Amino acid sequence: MDRSALGRIFVFSIVAAGAGLLGANEAAALTSERSAIAASAPLAYPAAGLPARAASVSAAPDTLKPGARLPTARYWLFVANESSDLVSRVRFGPEGAALEDDIEVGIMPADLDGAHGVSVSPDGRHVYVSLAHGTPFGKLWSYRTADGVLTDSVTVGLFPATIGITPDGSLGFVVNFNLHGNPVPSSVSAVFLPEMVEVARIETCIKPHGSRVNHAGTLHYSVCAGDDHLVEISVERLEISRIVKLTPGSERVLAGPGEAAAPGGGADTPVCGPSWVVPSFDDRRVYVTCNRNGQVLELDAATLSVTRRFRTGKGPYNLAVSSDGRLLLATNKGDQSVSVFDLASGEELARVPTTRPITHGVVVSPDNRYAFVSNEAVGATRGTVDVIDLDSLEIVASTELHHQPGGIDLWRSEPLP
Amino acid sequence: MRTLTMTTFAILLAACSASTSQEPPAGALPDRPADTSSSAAEAPVPEATGTPDGRPGDPNPHIPGDMAASARVAEIRISPSPVVIARGEQTLVQGVLLDGSGTRVAGARWAVLVPNGLEVESIKDSVPDAYLFSGARPGRYEVPVSLPRVVGGAIEWNRIASFPVLVKDWPVARIDLEPMPYGAYAGSVFGLEARAITTRGTVHETAEVEWSSSDPEVVSVTRDGIATFRTSGDAVLTASAEGIDGSLAVRVQPNPVRSVELEASRSEVRTGDVVHLRTMVSGDANRRLTDVRVDYSISMVQGTPDGAEIFEDGTFVANAPGIYGVMATAGGRSATVILRAAPRDVRRPARLVGRGPVAHVTTSDLWVFEGRDGRDYAYTGTHAQGGGERMYAWDVTDPASPVLTDSVVVDARVVNDVKVSDDARWAVITREGASSRRNGIIVLDLADPAHPSVLAELTDSLTAGIHNVWINGDVVYAVNDGTSAMHIIDLANPAKPAHIGRWEVRPGEQDKTLHDVWARDGLAYLSYWDDGLIVLDVGAGLKGGTPRGPVFVSQYRYRTYQPEEYGNTHTAYRYGDYVFTGDEIFGCGDCVNGPRGYIHVIDVSDIENPMQVARYEVPEAGAHNIWVEDGLLYIAYYQGGLRVVDVSGELRGDLYRQGREVAWFQSTGSEGDAIVPNSPLAWGPQPHKGNVFVSDMNSGLWVVRIEPQTAPLAP
Repeated sequence: MDRSALGRIFVFSIVAAGAGLLGANEAAALTSERSAIAASAPLAYPAAGLPARAASVSAAPDTLKPGARLPTARYWLFVANESSDLVSRVRFGPEGAALEDDIEVGIMPADLDGAHGVSVSPDGRHVYVSLAHGTPFGKLWSYRTADGVLTDSVTVGLFPATIGITPDGSLGFVVNFNLHGNPVPSSVSAVFLPEMVEVARIETCIKPHGSRVNHAGTLHYSVCAGDDHLVEISVERLEISRIVKLTPGSERVLAGPGEAAAPGGGADTPVCGPSWVVPSFDDRRVYVTCNRNGQVLELDAATLSVTRRFRTGKGPYNLAVSSDGRLLLATNKGDQSVSVFDLASGEELARVPTTRPITHGVVVSPDNRYAFVSNEAVGATRGTVDVIDLDSLEIVASTELHHQPGGIDLWRSEPLP
Repeated sequence: MRTLTMTTFAILLAACSASTSQEPPAGALPDRPADTSSSAAEAPVPEATGTPDGRPGDPNPHIPGDMAASARVAEIRISPSPVVIARGEQTLVQGVLLDGSGTRVAGARWAVLVPNGLEVESIKDSVPDAYLFSGARPGRYEVPVSLPRVVGGAIEWNRIASFPVLVKDWPVARIDLEPMPYGAYAGSVFGLEARAITTRGTVHETAEVEWSSSDPEVVSVTRDGIATFRTSGDAVLTASAEGIDGSLAVRVQPNPVRSVELEASRSEVRTGDVVHLRTMVSGDANRRLTDVRVDYSISMVQGTPDGAEIFEDGTFVANAPGIYGVMATAGGRSATVILRAAPRDVRRPARLVGRGPVAHVTTSDLWVFEGRDGRDYAYTGTHAQGGGERMYAWDVTDPASPVLTDSVVVDARVVNDVKVSDDARWAVITREGASSRRNGIIVLDLADPAHPSVLAELTDSLTAGIHNVWINGDVVYAVNDGTSAMHIIDLANPAKPAHIGRWEVRPGEQDKTLHDVWARDGLAYLSYWDDGLIVLDVGAGLKGGTPRGPVFVSQYRYRTYQPEEYGNTHTAYRYGDYVFTGDEIFGCGDCVNGPRGYIHVIDVSDIENPMQVARYEVPEAGAHNIWVEDGLLYIAYYQGGLRVVDVSGELRGDLYRQGREVAWFQSTGSEGDAIVPNSPLAWGPQPHKGNVFVSDMNSGLWVVRIEPQTAPLAP
């Protein structure tokens, strides 16, 4: 499908709000937005009938914090703006952080298509974006990273969210979150990425979220926000291998989907409310956020028993583990911060406040020097990406994106001469 | 370069560049049982040396194979061929990969793409080059095949051909024949209807019913059931599918027709006026014949060729002025009437009265009303671009100068819909994209309509976001984006909205999308996307429904082609005997300059049997919200601007061609007063006190007056 056929017809520039449009009710609420608008250069989007390539977006880079150590590389990321239907390409380097460009996603300008999850293929050639809303099913879209051209898409389930990819890039696992539908078991879609074909839809649980494949490429993990489960899927067999109940006090490996669905197998009212799962760098541990009770659980990957608990801020949402196995990072969605843990000691090294509320996603650079954090913000206020120096554990740069930035993944990095 | 030859059963590869593909020969599959035991195409071929299937340590066995082997593949033979699967069964489909010399290639990577509705599982890790096809949903599918190649060190997959797959419905149990619609008289020609019924009692979705005659000299019949009654005599007509027959004994009588007379309800009309023709067919002794097939045609035109339509039921409507001879034929005899169509002449000038430009955020729906203070107000919502977190309140008492009096800011990124209660005491706005992901509805207190304030919110069970609402007395019908159900909310006390019920089509099934709801006079009209228009009794007394307890009345599903097939029933509005529904189609093949979709006019005079009778389609634009009042249909037609259409009288045919368009106004903002200048994107219309208010997504609020014309409209 050619992007020019998508029918998006907007051509607009965001300009400072006219003073005549402000009423008494909103004066205070608009202050932040007007500041945000004033701080940004006008944005341009492609016109109907014009080449589909999104016009280059220029925004003043947010310079590196004075005194911060200089990056030794330049990094590029993709971030999904769920309420703008744009996927932003963000650059960070010695000059700071900047929004470089946007890819338009979705086909319904009169509705929010809801770009939610973002994952870059292991070879860096494609970025996959989950579009949460459809009529009614969502889609997984594939774009070329080099030029932002849409290459293919596939329909999956209701409200597809997080995307996990096998190390060889052949299979993508998309959790069909079904966040707002009836509370019935949903599924994980396994998509053959080279051809964007759904090869299996594995029913798992209520509100599956988080999606990661271990580094060996043998196991996939997701969690169930609606019934306190961790689900392990065999990548080879494309079926559930184990289910763990995560409700505090009742943690155990269940006999299988039968016990998970039986009374007592799940949680009528989730206590943990897991939202994310990530394996450790050596695949020996698995970390799960308990979004509802402010914890991260560490599980032994072999036995899937809980080995440690980390107290976080309010509403831990996403996780990242540094590739050297040193740090664990958790975004605290409910209190606008990121918890950074030393995995050896279990100590929370810092709780880093972020620049905007509703802290969402986090990814660590391959050299383990930086963490990149997306912040959704509220309403018309634009969200941001913050860059945390993992040495100083403070934000050293930040840049403003669009509305509700959430899913985030690192595309590539280049060492500086 | 690879050799390109064609056989019936093999997929042959064109020169394998990313830009080339070779489509297989088209053609329907024979309707015969699946053959999974062997393949006519699978001739023995010598085995060539190749890389073993799968690579040691390959972390993903689902795409086993070797790239070098793939590069040698010149032909893929699919076995069995054709692929025919019985519903509920599985069939193993295997590819035989050959190189240019016809030698079998082992270990190559290749893949099939799975069309929607088909279920396919790769079993290549256990059976080389094999897929397991499941017959879940009956239908005919075209399955593309892809091969990989290495480009710049990376793998690219190219679609190189496709093969047909038929998933057959359950076995045919019986053939149901419809009674003949007319008498079997020599000289008559008309169609016969038959349906294959499955062993599960459902209408067969894939069987092709074929007709035959025991005596074609008496009555011949085409395979698809067009019967020609030739001469007196007896014959048996048989409809067959999958070896099951249904028969109809026919005795053809001599042609009894002696005369045909034709009358028109009117002979002097305007374009768009519907004329009913009455045909009287008589036999011997002037005996009236009522079962003789009558064919109508336009036999003579003075004016625009193709300027009129005649329908099978004898209804005539002119699209262009002219003189038309309309002929009725029965039993070889005919009669003609002359009809004169004058221009409809309903054009009226549209004049811009006032504007409320919104240039920093996209605008959504609007509602215009007289407030409790006696002044007039327009409320407009805001959409995502620029941050759709508020509803604007405009004082439009002087429509030439809308004054923004205030706005309401909520935690949302789209305030899609705005509705005001009949007594103008409260309003409901909808939320989508709330930061808490708990959207729902907001109830506004309109005690001071210039400065509405938040009175209450309801988010429980409405977290997904509410796209549209409709107020029916003290009940609010809300369209839930997550459940695709209509949620029913009691606002007898607007400060305490409470759930009192919900209604959804096909409960328990997920593949449905509710988009809008509209209600009046005890009937609710739900725009249910691919499920079409659904009518509910919410107090009309038809089915015992109440505002709090809807009861299903009827459903009308239709498809629009742009050029792909769409349902996309987006909005509905009842006026007189008609419901006007609109499509909303984005991303289609024809959507070069934006959306498509048009207005379907559905006759609901028999509310339990709705039927489309007319359409209004602006070429190269897409319909959005509508309003009908005093014989005028107001359409916010996205990039087509505001359209006003004369829908007075009876409606039939193509309203656009009939000259029924009264006015057209492009809500085009300019640089500085529109978020998108020079690009109309009309969202919603509403007439109010002699003016038409229009919200335009790209430019805000517009006030337009449709000026009188010198000639009156039709009575």
